[in-house]
Amino acid sequence: MSDVTFPTMSDDDDATGVIVTWFVESGDAVTPKTLIAEIAVDKVDAEVYPETAGTITILAEEEAEVAQGSVIATVT
Amino acid sequence: MTLYPELTDDIRRELLSMMVLIRTYEEAILREYHADKKPGFDIGAGLIPGEMHLAAGQEPVAAGLGAHLTADDALTATHRPHHLAIAKGVRLPEMTAEIFGRESGLGRGRGGHMHLFDPQTHFSCSGIVAEGLPPALGQALAFQRRGSDAVAVAVLGEGAANAGPFHESLNLAALWKLPVVFVVEDNDWGISVPRAKSTAILSNADRGVAYGIPGVRVEENSVEGVYEATGEAIARARAGEGPSLVEVHTLRLWGHFEGDAQGYREDLEGVPGRDPLPTYKNALESRGALTEADYTGMEAAAAEQVEDAIAFAKGSPIPDPSDALNYVFAEGARA
Amino acid sequence: MTTTTDTERSTATSAAAPTGTAAGSSIPVEPDAGTRKLSTAKAIQEAIAQQMRADDSVFLMGEDIGPYGGIFSSTTGLIDEFGAERVMDTPISETAFIGAGIGAAVEGMRPIVELMFVDFMGVCLDQMYNHMAKIHFESGGNVQVPMVLMTATGGGYSDGAQHSQSLWGTFAHLPGMKVVVPSNPYDAKGLMTAAIRSNDPVVFMFHKGVMGLGWMKKNRRSIGPVPEEAYEVPIGKAKVVREGTDVSIVTLSLSVHHALDVAEKVEQDGISVEVLDLRSLVPLDRDAIMASVSKTRRLIVVDEDYQSFGVSGEVIATVAERKPGLLDYASRVCVPDVPIPYASGLEHTVLPGPARIEAAVREAVREGNAS
Repeated sequence: MSDVTFPTMSDDDDATGVIVTWFVESGDAVTPKTLIAEIAVDKVDAEVYPETAGTITILAEEEAEVAQGSVIATVT
Repeated sequence: MTLYPELTDDIRRELLSMMVLIRTYEEAILREYHADKKPGFDIGAGLIPGEMHLAAGQEPVAAGLGAHLTADDALTATHRPHHLAIAKGVRLPEMTAEIFGRESGLGRGRGGHMHLFDPQTHFSCSGIVAEGLPPALGQALAFQRRGSDAVAVAVLGEGAANAGPFHESLNLAALWKLPVVFVVEDNDWGISVPRAKSTAILSNADRGVAYGIPGVRVEENSVEGVYEATGEAIARARAGEGPSLVEVHTLRLWGHFEGDAQGYREDLEGVPGRDPLPTYKNALESRGALTEADYTGMEAAAAEQVEDAIAFAKGSPIPDPSDALNYVFAEGARA
Repeated sequence: MTTTTDTERSTATSAAAPTGTAAGSSIPVEPDAGTRKLSTAKAIQEAIAQQMRADDSVFLMGEDIGPYGGIFSSTTGLIDEFGAERVMDTPISETAFIGAGIGAAVEGMRPIVELMFVDFMGVCLDQMYNHMAKIHFESGGNVQVPMVLMTATGGGYSDGAQHSQSLWGTFAHLPGMKVVVPSNPYDAKGLMTAAIRSNDPVVFMFHKGVMGLGWMKKNRRSIGPVPEEAYEVPIGKAKVVREGTDVSIVTLSLSVHHALDVAEKVEQDGISVEVLDLRSLVPLDRDAIMASVSKTRRLIVVDEDYQSFGVSGEVIATVAERKPGLLDYASRVCVPDVPIPYASGLEHTVLPGPARIEAAVREAVREGNAS
């Protein structure tokens, strides 16, 4: 299993961003090649892929403000 | 280093011969264009309807430039395209049939004299001033990408050098080091406006400096001057050294278009005396490179070729009105 | 009276067929969508990348399409895979680089050229409508221009009168260009693939609001299932995206999302709305319009372009010409011939948003019943 964390996009440790889009839902099967989310800090966005294969559980809602490095999903 | 074949008397005779062919062609089109528009002048009437921009007097540009081009090179011409098409090697029968609006024409009668497209010789024109330049960039880009040494030549009038596409195109060609040669035909007149009233500087060749590319002006409508200036520019482009700008001070022997009485033209009286054809013929005779028999031979060969093309056009089918909606798209239909 | 303008014609021969390998090889047409989800922007990127891999004559030109990835993310990441030779940032010289696309296409390449905002058409229209669109015709079919002109359209985010227009009706009006206007990721990928593989010039118009961008209010329909394989959505084929019996909304692009939202809402009041997504404007799927109106007899055209002399009139005229007795009711919800205002409240007053569409639906049902 593995945690999916919000990527570090800014040097500012206190920076937060939003989850723009979840491309998957809790319970979906994912692999490291599955684009699971797009996140953004200001106008810069990034794609998120899981580190391991398994079943995803989403912990943060779309469009929610999230701190960099915080866990936004788990894969079991 | 010789970048192109040095001028010899053989080449000089070829240049003159091409000038004769072009003049013969334009005179024949002039004859056919006016033949059935009388007694009044009805622009839409006759075997050749529509606007007609003839290039008599501008033969040196086409002959000098065309001598360096192969069928693989591209040339985009203007609303006044016949001389350039002929020098590029466009087949006269199909071109003439297009001017006559026939089904066997280059564009099956859909284009007309300002819209001649010949994929075999990569020849095209635009009837919109300065707008033929950008497509030439893309042709050059395609040649460059494919590793071909073909070049694209964009011909424009001096009036077009004041239009935005000229400047955008020179910058982009220089930036991407494209194998393009820009050739300005300065015939002194933008329809009725003299260049002194349209252009802030004396030579458009100077505008090359603004884009970091060579700019050369050829004076006195000299076919040999054109041969040398375009020869160098084309060789440079072929060698991958990027674009050049050549301006030729040429001559509009006739009106902007047929039916133009040229009442605005203060230089009209002196125009016949500046005709490049007798000038170059005399020059070759003086240097012993041309006999009268040579010249009559050129005229006869040209006349035969041109009259064959006219006959082909006149004998070609008129497009079927039931086909009027064809060729909008290559695939499928407009619903 | 039936006076259709359909012309089922195509050219028989072409002396200068492009040398690209894309067209001709066979790929699936509208396959099952599957479960993998993408945003519209990512679907467009994927379509371009797949065709660039399949055919080395495909390349991109435009402003800020390289490292930036396109102002609206239409080209994100492509320069990383294909390099600056095939993903070419250009100077701000739309006439020069769109014209260069035309010349390259004439020589057999398959350029995709991005015009950053469709509003900028004014600085380069000659290349598009007098050259890109006419060369094939003027050459009697001897020269093809297999080029995609990709451009961003639409408003809704206070970008003002010069950066918010739709203008697809203008392109559709001028002959010689195919015009596609996808509303969702699946269609965007399939139409972009079809556009690249087409031997005709295709204007690919994406509304910024359907791209699924994180920095612009997005409708959930901007994210959707997209097959991983390359496939085509045929150019010229509309799609019924919601079946209904009371009223037909014929629409396109972002307005499809609004129409579907409204359809879901009024269903609770027993109003059954059919939504037809045109997907292409040229060719226009007039048969699909007729089929839908034949069912409902009430027609609303929702179009984010200016109202007069445009798509909405063309759709209604199609029914009027083919079967005028069919219509119990017709109306349109468009931009009422005013430049798009800056102030948000003003802008949303003139845009064909859900509130205006809902009002139109309720009126259609009321009026249609009364007649």
